[in-house]
Amino acid sequence: MSPKRKNKIRLSALDKRILNRLQEDIPFVSRPWQAVAGELGIKEELLLKRIGSLKDEGIIRRISAGFAPRKIKYVSTLVGVKVSPAKCSAVAKRINVYPEVTHNYKRNAEYNIWFTLVAKDRKRILSIIGRLKEDPNIQRITEFPAGKLFKINVKLKA
Amino acid sequence: MMISKLDKTIISVMSADIPLVSRPFQGIAASLGINEATLLSRLKAYRKKGWLRKFSAVVNHRKIGFQYNAMVVWNIPDQAVNQAGKAMSEFSRVSHCYQRKKSVGWNYNLYTMIHGKAKKECFNVVRAIARKTSCRNYKVLFSSQEYKKTAVDFAEHALTKS
Repeated sequence: MSPKRKNKIRLSALDKRILNRLQEDIPFVSRPWQAVAGELGIKEELLLKRIGSLKDEGIIRRISAGFAPRKIKYVSTLVGVKVSPAKCSAVAKRINVYPEVTHNYKRNAEYNIWFTLVAKDRKRILSIIGRLKEDPNIQRITEFPAGKLFKINVKLKA
Repeated sequence: MMISKLDKTIISVMSADIPLVSRPFQGIAASLGINEATLLSRLKAYRKKGWLRKFSAVVNHRKIGFQYNAMVVWNIPDQAVNQAGKAMSEFSRVSHCYQRKKSVGWNYNLYTMIHGKAKKECFNVVRAIARKTSCRNYKVLFSSQEYKKTAVDFAEHALTKS
């Protein structure tokens, strides 16, 4: 799909209402879609059909539970990397090899690659960072571990 | 806090896309060898304990018009971090707000993710936050490419224990 077309998706008023509702908590009941459809004033079958198309179009990436890593004894961190601009995509590829890498972005700053890690323990995080340090394309790699969490709630109005 | 083997499996399965059917938990429970009611009560318990943040749709931001995401890093005096973090979190366009460690040559201790349909929208939020927190020392880092964005794979085999 060309980037142009990707940006041109037009959403119906109903799809927007569905997307806004589904970015909030879905209830843990036997028939969650029936409950949500009731809130939206539509039939369960219609809601399922619309969610199916929104997934097909890639507008909904997935419907899943987000867990708080720290609460379930995982550790997470943010890492910044300084790379010469020409080497960015090669280095990004090396970083992405690790399943512990959940997000990875190129950004316009002296640290130009930023990625997040969720791992089983600190040792594993240090081992991944240590191995990446050996990459001659990486000029500097710095971990920015989180202290206090003030907010995490991704909800963008469609 | 105890996390049983069953909890781990549930966490792993629920972190991935769930089947789009009328009774999704019935099938998931069956695949785990438990009944639907047990699964539902565990999930509600996780929510209550704060293990589970949100069960919801994960939307492709760009496809609903949010083309821009900026990571904005702020240098806030230590004694003002709490107040600033709370103030920043009140903005609906701020999805994440974390305190983080400063590093040599990188004097920033509060991080926010800000989303916008145009760069200008992001800058408007940044300016509003700067005014509200009286912070002049910040940096706006727009993402220019997404190399990876995926759910955490909590499956037992996926993440290596060192």
